[in-house]
Amino acid sequence: MARASLSVRNLSKEFTTGASRVSAVDNVSFDVYGGEFFTMLGPSGCGKTTTLRVIAGLERATSGEITVDGSDFMSVPPQRRNIGMVFQSYALFPHLSIFENVAYGLRLRGIGADEIRRRVAATLTLLQLEPYAARHPAVLSGGQQQRVSIARALVYEPTMLLLDEPLANLDAKLRVMMREEIRALQRRLGITTLYVTHDQEEATAVSDRLAVFNHGRLIQLGTPEEIYARPQTLFVADFIGRANFLPVRLIDPMRPDAGAILRNGTVLRTDRQVPLEAHETRTLSVDDGGVIMIRPEHLALHASAGDTACRVLRVQLLGGLIRYTVQSDASSAENIVETTRPLPGIEEGGGAYLSIPSADAILYHR
Amino acid sequence: MSSTPAFAVGATVWARNRDWTAWLLGIAVVIVTAVFLIYPLGNALLLAFVKNGEAPSATSLTLANFTRFFTAASYQKALWNSVYSGLAATLLATVIALPMAYAAARIAIRYRGLIFAMTVVPLISPPFIGAYAWIILLGRNGTITQWVHEWTGWTLPSIYGPPGVILALALSYFPYVFLIVQGALAAADPHIEEAALMAGASRARILRTITLPLVFPAIAAAMLIVFIKAIGDFGVPSILGGEFQVLPTLIYYQIHGFFNLNAASAIAAVNVLLTLLAMLALAWVNRHHNFVTVGGTSRAAARFANPGARAFGNAYCWIVIGIAILPQLVIAVASFAARWPGTMLPESYTLDHYRVVWSQLTGPIVNSLILAGAATAVCMIFGTVTAYASARGRMRARWALDLTIMLPFVLPGLVVGVAYLTAFNSGPLVLTGTATILVLAYFTRRVAFIFRSVAAAIAQIDPKLEDASKICGAHWSATMRRVMVPLAAPAILAGAVLVFSTLIGEISATVLLYSAQWKTISIAIYELVLGDQLAEASAIGTITTVLTLLLVLVASRLAGKNMAELFR
Repeated sequence: MARASLSVRNLSKEFTTGASRVSAVDNVSFDVYGGEFFTMLGPSGCGKTTTLRVIAGLERATSGEITVDGSDFMSVPPQRRNIGMVFQSYALFPHLSIFENVAYGLRLRGIGADEIRRRVAATLTLLQLEPYAARHPAVLSGGQQQRVSIARALVYEPTMLLLDEPLANLDAKLRVMMREEIRALQRRLGITTLYVTHDQEEATAVSDRLAVFNHGRLIQLGTPEEIYARPQTLFVADFIGRANFLPVRLIDPMRPDAGAILRNGTVLRTDRQVPLEAHETRTLSVDDGGVIMIRPEHLALHASAGDTACRVLRVQLLGGLIRYTVQSDASSAENIVETTRPLPGIEEGGGAYLSIPSADAILYHR
Repeated sequence: MSSTPAFAVGATVWARNRDWTAWLLGIAVVIVTAVFLIYPLGNALLLAFVKNGEAPSATSLTLANFTRFFTAASYQKALWNSVYSGLAATLLATVIALPMAYAAARIAIRYRGLIFAMTVVPLISPPFIGAYAWIILLGRNGTITQWVHEWTGWTLPSIYGPPGVILALALSYFPYVFLIVQGALAAADPHIEEAALMAGASRARILRTITLPLVFPAIAAAMLIVFIKAIGDFGVPSILGGEFQVLPTLIYYQIHGFFNLNAASAIAAVNVLLTLLAMLALAWVNRHHNFVTVGGTSRAAARFANPGARAFGNAYCWIVIGIAILPQLVIAVASFAARWPGTMLPESYTLDHYRVVWSQLTGPIVNSLILAGAATAVCMIFGTVTAYASARGRMRARWALDLTIMLPFVLPGLVVGVAYLTAFNSGPLVLTGTATILVLAYFTRRVAFIFRSVAAAIAQIDPKLEDASKICGAHWSATMRRVMVPLAAPAILAGAVLVFSTLIGEISATVLLYSAQWKTISIAIYELVLGDQLAEASAIGTITTVLTLLLVLVASRLAGKNMAELFR
């Protein structure tokens, strides 16, 4: 199976609706390495699907370059790009049997009947679909239809596999099962894979690397661990995982590393300081110099001693996690603390003490 | 999976076959639209402003063809007659159809499916076949005329003239009102009426203050459709009108009497104007009075089941259906009658009329089948391509395409006939008297059936299927052949059968465009009726009706709808 590498440079796509031009993809550049599972993640309308469709050749870019293994891809019509694509709606041909759906791409390549039979059978086996070969898509379950659509995309040995929100139509349990299956299959075949989703949990669970999109721009690129631990913007911090945000004033606006003052006067000197994006400074009130972000599992909650006294508003059991919602004078908003084990002596309605470890907090400043 | 060079082989194949199909089809569509849809209508409009017999130029422009509507009594009369018979037929059709629609939607009557199927019969069989059945029944020697005279001594008024025309038109077109209003009544949210009932309103009050206002837009729309159909009808007034001239018959006489294309064009323009006014009103009604309630319920309105209501509902529906299909029954009986001297039923039966048809009229039958078949084939290709373009294309001029296809569909057949005569009688493309001109005129008038049916079907197909096919390696033509056409096939075939069956009896465009060589069934019937050979006309009329009914039945099976829905 091919391990093509993909390079996207300065890709832009504008849509014209009437007199107004809307920028769907805005100067996006990234590389996907051969055999990599690469995910484009973002809220709906962020440009991730448009980028995928431009790579597939289904949309024409306004400007930019796409190369595959170093050679130009933009001038190749979609029929000849030899990629596999899986759609959110599966897009199975309702009038063809499962066998014929999978055989479709091979027939278009003028391959002989015996060879088609052999390759379709092999692909159906790979996806555990042999019993359904003669059936039509309408009688299959959502998960089975999704597997057929993957089989149809893989059978002609494409150089890349593109998946556009492939799990969005499945129920929660099946979604988790299918994403493991897709990941395992991708590892086994070693095929370069581009995956689009709006579900950050799904993205971090399966990807080698992911690209977070917002408003048509690529905001951050990295491994799931990097992005979770060191989000480069407030948006990424908020979008990936859960986060506490505490507005702060700066001791010295010229030197963010000098320390930040929380609402209750506590001074915190975070290990990391990141300048805010221009448009994100608008979310700050005028007096504030920045926002401190800390993940719920990094906030420490103690029964007896800590930096800041707080009230415990709610205690919720979420599967393997316990979530404490607390209110302190360090911030006007409620904060959440998550632990894997119940904290002794801390109860709903009671009091506790909150500590913000400077090593895990990030200051986003003007 | 092992790596094989299969793709490389495929790639070279593609490199050789660059896909020009989409472009070629697109160019063909533009040419056909321009030459056979826009040019004839535009040309006819131009000729209406040109002096008779002169070539269009700056000096030959005139309003004389129109001023006759103010000066000539025959013109004024025809215009007035068209309007008044059209309005009267519309009112009569509505009065007949409304109680029936209410009964079918709100009373638990029996055999609903059968009732719906029967109401389609008048829509399928050409109106002029119904017209001469009324001569058999109510003509000077008609069965009912004689019967009434024998028993009461009264002489019924003549069937020729306005009463006969209005009656025949109303009975031909009332199913439109029935089908549309019944649909609206059945779709209305029952909760609204239940709320009124809870508020203490009586049934009669609910009907007057809630139900009828709710379906008013549907009633208005249906009435406008009937009006448009009625003012465009040629067969009925030409057979039953006698001295009673309407715009389509006036056009016919201008051409057959004087071959005055300019005058005919002007009359056609006025006829089009009336049609357009009705269409504008229809668009206005659709836009401003759309009460279709988007309720969260799919529950149908409760149907009255008390014996009184059911007895009334059943009786009313079957009486109307009886009267409406009476012409077809009469013609079927007449086609076997050896002697039918004004008695209740014929005195003796024979197959002679069919033998005459067999020996003398196979020509027109074969002609009709060929012409309708060829036109259907053209409609299938063009209608499918344009429907695809309209449903999927990103053109800005989509409304223009829709209008170009739908306009000839609603225009009177005589108008299309005049347009084709003027466009292809001289000039670069002369087609007068050929089969081609008939096929093209038929195509113009009927392509909308396939266009609408296929556009609706394509709108239901996930556009991602085309993306998926493309990604799998298919060019546009392969995607069409392997995915879109198979998926749209039922809609294409259903539309095609509808086109074919309604063309078998087409008369209003045919009557201006046929030649001795290409005489059709409808013209043969028309000539037989004018020659008072009603028995032979009945035989061929019966064949036509049975044939079209069977075909529409096939179409409804293909489309998976009941027959009535095909005409909505």
